[in-house]
Amino acid sequence: MTTFQISAFVFLGLALAATISFRLRRQASFRVAFAWSLLWIGAAVAIAWPQITVRVAHVLGIARGADLVFYLAILGMFVGFFAVYVRFRRMESEMTRIVRELALRNPKEPDPE
Amino acid sequence: MTGVVKDTTFIVIPAFNEERAIGAVVAELKALWPHVIVVDDGSRDETASVARQSGATVLRHAVNRGQGAALQTGITHALRRGAQIVVTFDSDGQHRAEDVATLVAPIEEGRADVVLGSRFLGSTENMSALRGLLLRAATAFTRMTSGARVTDAHNGLRAFTRAAASRLEIRLDRMAHASEIVDQVAVHGARCVEVPVHVRYTDYSKRKGQTGLGAFRVLLDYLWGRWLR
Repeated sequence: MTTFQISAFVFLGLALAATISFRLRRQASFRVAFAWSLLWIGAAVAIAWPQITVRVAHVLGIARGADLVFYLAILGMFVGFFAVYVRFRRMESEMTRIVRELALRNPKEPDPE
Repeated sequence: MTGVVKDTTFIVIPAFNEERAIGAVVAELKALWPHVIVVDDGSRDETASVARQSGATVLRHAVNRGQGAALQTGITHALRRGAQIVVTFDSDGQHRAEDVATLVAPIEEGRADVVLGSRFLGSTENMSALRGLLLRAATAFTRMTSGARVTDAHNGLRAFTRAAASRLEIRLDRMAHASEIVDQVAVHGARCVEVPVHVRYTDYSKRKGQTGLGAFRVLLDYLWGRWLR
């Protein structure tokens, strides 16, 4: 086993443990915890047996396994950015609703001359 | 203009860091109309107190949420106070108080549910060529997307009947609400007319207004609201 593999397994193991612990403390929904767990396990599998990524890459018409992983990482990042942006927009509009509600509760009449 | 119309017309002014201009704007309107609402959109200056001293009812956003958000807040308040006509008006002094009567007239005569002020049917003072071009492009875009035959989509001077104002739901908090309003009016099938108004640009209002780059952001915001929400 290479040094890279050992350090990657340590990191991925910790990440998986953290994910499971979040789920157990009900700080993550099952869906979210499951998706992250899949990601960590998938990464571990790809690092343990790199030839699997090569085979999948060939099926998709990509020359190297490393390229496949790279493309997937970029794609995943875009999906992540978009999800965060959607959530950000939703929070913005919720914030507007709160700010509006507060303003409407407390109208200030004109100062008497 | 009958007294009843005056008593049930509410003028909504969204304002952000406008302490220098808001006093004169409110005073000019108050001389003609009894109900003026200023929505202070999280200003860090004395906008709220200047507006109150000049005779406006002031609603205050605790943090800045944008002109669209402020308009919706003001319109909601006006409706709760029993407004039969809601007029929106800019805070930077570019509109004239006497134009409000022109705006309200088609509603009073029962000819329209929504009245939009148009500087291109009316007149402008000191408008830069670039600003004119930008506004015409924005109007062409709004005509295309909403199908409404308007000549000036981004004018802050508008009037709504109570029914039309109640159906408005401004969700685009920032500047893209102008196109959103026209879209909703078109979708709701409200009777909409344009009237000529005068817009005066001063160095002050120009500094506070949109830049070319800002217009691009407005476009992105609008597209987001229309297709992705």
